[in-house]
Amino acid sequence: MIAIEGLSKSFETARRSSHTALADISLNVAAGEFVSILGPSGCGKSTLLYIVGGFVPPTEGTVAVNGKPVTGPGPDRGPVFQEFALFPWKTVLGNVMYGLLERGMARSKAEERARALIGLVHLKGYEHFYPKELSGGMKQRVAIARTLAYGPSILLMDEPFGALDAHTRTGLQNELLDIWERDRKTVLFVTHSVEEAVFLSDRVVVLTRSPGRIKQTVAIGLSRPRRRAQLLVDRRYQTLVVDIERLMDAPEEAP
Amino acid sequence: MMRRAIPETLLGSLPVVLVLALWQGLTSAGMAPPSLLPPPAAVFSRLAQQLTDPVFLGHAATTLFRLFAGFTIAVAIGVALGVLATGSRTVGALVGPVVRVLAPVPKIALYPAFILILGFEHASKIALVAADAVFPILLATYQGTSAVEPKLVWSALATGTSRRKALFTIVLPAALPSVLTGCRIGLVISCIVVFLAEMISSTNGLGHLLVYASRSFRTVDMFVPLITISILGLALNAGFNALRARLLAGFPEES
Repeated sequence: MIAIEGLSKSFETARRSSHTALADISLNVAAGEFVSILGPSGCGKSTLLYIVGGFVPPTEGTVAVNGKPVTGPGPDRGPVFQEFALFPWKTVLGNVMYGLLERGMARSKAEERARALIGLVHLKGYEHFYPKELSGGMKQRVAIARTLAYGPSILLMDEPFGALDAHTRTGLQNELLDIWERDRKTVLFVTHSVEEAVFLSDRVVVLTRSPGRIKQTVAIGLSRPRRRAQLLVDRRYQTLVVDIERLMDAPEEAP
Repeated sequence: MMRRAIPETLLGSLPVVLVLALWQGLTSAGMAPPSLLPPPAAVFSRLAQQLTDPVFLGHAATTLFRLFAGFTIAVAIGVALGVLATGSRTVGALVGPVVRVLAPVPKIALYPAFILILGFEHASKIALVAADAVFPILLATYQGTSAVEPKLVWSALATGTSRRKALFTIVLPAALPSVLTGCRIGLVISCIVVFLAEMISSTNGLGHLLVYASRSFRTVDMFVPLITISILGLALNAGFNALRARLLAGFPEES
């Protein structure tokens, strides 16, 4: 589904020196797989996601989606950002309808589908609210509905729950899994929270601190559907969290 | 909010009342001869009389027409160039130096040239208004559009929107608060410049009335156009603010 080959990204810094954000990333994500990219802040994990999205070009290496090389953004890959990035001049309904109208759907049909999605993310009754009138968690629900609307086969989630309080965060993790269980889209999920990565993912890719390289990939063999209350007392879940935390803290071997 | 609006309006009208009181005081104390500085009562009663006179109203309409025509041209050119300068490196490179050279030039210096090229009628005055009002609008649009959060644009591109379309349907609306701030400055400048142009050379309009009255030493008639243009400016500003509040309904409160 997603094939990342020998990917590197360098930035020109303000002082005209080159800074390597990502080095030699190779990763394959299968269709329907939920993969988290886990790493300390500044390791380039978001940049990796932007490159897969086609928003930022790589310095070296290639990304292919379904065998086709990525050259720019496309409706097969739907992004969800930590900052929500909702259109402030559009209402909840307008935001969710946006992608549908852009895909050429008739207005009445787009509105019907948008209303269904707003119901799916539990925001019925908020259709005509502006984003500024919503809480952070509600904004992110709108952003998720907006992206789900145009039916991307891949979700690219960039620390989507990073700006939310702990309670809202766990609530949205559960909702995300519920939605994901319905059609099992391919998900690339960037986070710096070990618990979040283990709870959600089939596989966790741990990156090193700058430049970001793949330190280790950990398969999460926990059965689905997952229930948070059960997992928290599950020995295997606890071991995975502790192991991955140790892995992140471990000194990095010289490449 | 409504509860605070009333005392603020009262507070705002206080300086106006003070100026009128000072004006009245100066004239009734005999410090300024009525032939040079007529008392406010004389001016306002003349204004009330003139407001029913079709000839006077015709002059006011001429001024308003020139003001709006010039302002509209300035908005069209300023917004279009500002957006395109953000969207295209080529346009940005072409427009940048021209703006830096022309922006500090006192546009009134171009007026003799405008008169020679465009004649004594509407066109030269409209051109002067547009030339003066376009720069704040262009600069505010350029700054606003180039500061738009890239993730907003990415969210649109991911649905399949082209970059060109996103420039006008996402970048421009997202920059609307800044664009409208530029337009408001442009509107004030338009009020000033249209009056100035009519004072320098015109056979009609409020500016012409003022100069004509002062040359015939009719001081009461000199103040009437002055007060008329400030009332017009006040009304235009109120109208603009109402429009702005509607257009920016979804944006977080600012400025």
